[in-house]
Amino acid sequence: LNLRFIDWIWRVRGSIFLAPGIAERDALDRLDGLFQEYGTTYTRDKTRLDFRKKSPAAQDKMSVFNRGALYLETSDGTKMLRYDLVSNALLLCFLAPLLFFGFGQFFEFTMRHQDASQKPVAAQTQGKDQSASASKKPADAKDVKAVTNAKAEAKSEDKAKDDKPAVVAMNPIDKFLGAPKPPDDKKDDSKPAEKHKKLSPTTAYVFAGIFFFLYIVGRILEPFLVRRLFSRALGDLAASGVIAPDMARPHAAS
Amino acid sequence: MDGTLVGKRLIGTQAPVTIGWDNIQKVEGGLAKRLFFTHFQPAVLVGMVLFWYYAPNSIAKASTALWISIGFRGVLFVLEWVNPRYASWQLTWKECVTDLFYVGLGYTLMRYIDMYIGAGAVIEYVQHHFHFGKFGWFLGLPILVQAFLISFIFDFGQYWMHRGMHNWYPLWLPHSVHHYITQLNVNKGAVGNPLELFLIGLGVGGFFDFVPRAFLLAGAIGMAISSYQHINVRFNTPRWWRYLFNTVEHHSVHHSRDFEASRSNFCNTYIFIDRIFGTCVDGEAELLGMEGGRRMTIREQMTFPYAQAYLSIRSKFKKPVVDQPVPQAQP
Repeated sequence: LNLRFIDWIWRVRGSIFLAPGIAERDALDRLDGLFQEYGTTYTRDKTRLDFRKKSPAAQDKMSVFNRGALYLETSDGTKMLRYDLVSNALLLCFLAPLLFFGFGQFFEFTMRHQDASQKPVAAQTQGKDQSASASKKPADAKDVKAVTNAKAEAKSEDKAKDDKPAVVAMNPIDKFLGAPKPPDDKKDDSKPAEKHKKLSPTTAYVFAGIFFFLYIVGRILEPFLVRRLFSRALGDLAASGVIAPDMARPHAAS
Repeated sequence: MDGTLVGKRLIGTQAPVTIGWDNIQKVEGGLAKRLFFTHFQPAVLVGMVLFWYYAPNSIAKASTALWISIGFRGVLFVLEWVNPRYASWQLTWKECVTDLFYVGLGYTLMRYIDMYIGAGAVIEYVQHHFHFGKFGWFLGLPILVQAFLISFIFDFGQYWMHRGMHNWYPLWLPHSVHHYITQLNVNKGAVGNPLELFLIGLGVGGFFDFVPRAFLLAGAIGMAISSYQHINVRFNTPRWWRYLFNTVEHHSVHHSRDFEASRSNFCNTYIFIDRIFGTCVDGEAELLGMEGGRRMTIREQMTFPYAQAYLSIRSKFKKPVVDQPVPQAQP
């Protein structure tokens, strides 16, 4: 599977020009210190350094990358350091909006499903209001059953209301301190649908948006930080701070 | 390391832990900065209490509490940047994304699960099954007393659940993941295995009836006290505050790499509960985590308790290897 068109999502590539006349070993020696970190293993030859990181420390400056390669190349007589780094964190952050979008869709589906299952109950409750007339004029067996159910439900609801403590008087201390009176609970009882278990999908969509934003931030910030890290490590070996533009070299890191 | 004797316990033999408030670094800088970081915590608490006590009913709603909570989190982010406690705890892009993943799970999937099998759902089922309503014992009390009782009942239950997690292996397994965090910052409270987050959220408060405003006040008190336990900000916390309430200093000791130190400061809000039961250690620690500070990946955090439980059960029931006599070589 050729991933070269999409692997920019999780790969960071770049290059830094080196000052003319420097030994290749010197450049890699300068960078060597960056890989003396907890959980980092690497192999090195004359012109190339391959590394892997497993559970890097939070403050490891390259913790966002799981593996990668740094290699020295000469093109048109100019030496440059190229790097090709792979980041699972970038990939997962790219995918996270999909996950939270999926949660949102799932919550929406659940809400629709619950609304659909509530409708017959609502119909029965409506029947409760018409129970007086229904008792005078019995319709078919289905209606009678609905009315009976509605009556039973209304009875249990009334019982529940009776069980509820009567409106509690405010404590004299609260009255003295001027706290607002509590709202009338009966108003809430008139909205049984609101009390039903539901989770709004909006939160999930907000998080999908947050992760999308964070991916963009990370995709810009992390390449900038790692390039600055390499440039600083190279110090005067980098050609007067001149940084070569991003030149893609796919599949350099395995 | 020699460690420091605290009561009968030797703290800090495995990793450095600073013991005693007088040994903890103070906020450095100008007068305004020092005043701000000394009085910020009490000022926010008083402000929150006054707001929720006097806010008209049209404003005193759960949605307002949510927006205040988000705004407050934003303020804490800024404070972490302005006056960090330790450079080694400073937030990176990767840590921010990882932590927010857990925050996101908490606000979505965990809430969904909690609706069906959480403490509220279980209490509702029990009340319905046994035909009894909520205990209305506290309804006539002043709102502030009700609010304190709500947060205290929850914190008291959480103290024992948390202490149980550190003392009973099956409960330790889901909680252990949270102890692999190697730094504290504003979102680290959400990091953990979902099973642990579910367990730590269990409480018996649902059995009691309180006025709605008391719940909102209790939430605000919790936010204005316990938000600081996972935070990378250096405060000059007033003496009375750190005597009564949990602080980042207390919680950093709890997350220390030192085993004995990690078995202290179990409460979430009221540190005086730890003082009552003799588990409070006043101090702070910078080196946090387990296994020498190994950072767990999200995948490992999700699977670790179950994988470890499987390994433990397998090793328990595995047939012991009987030593076979080694055949002697014949001359």
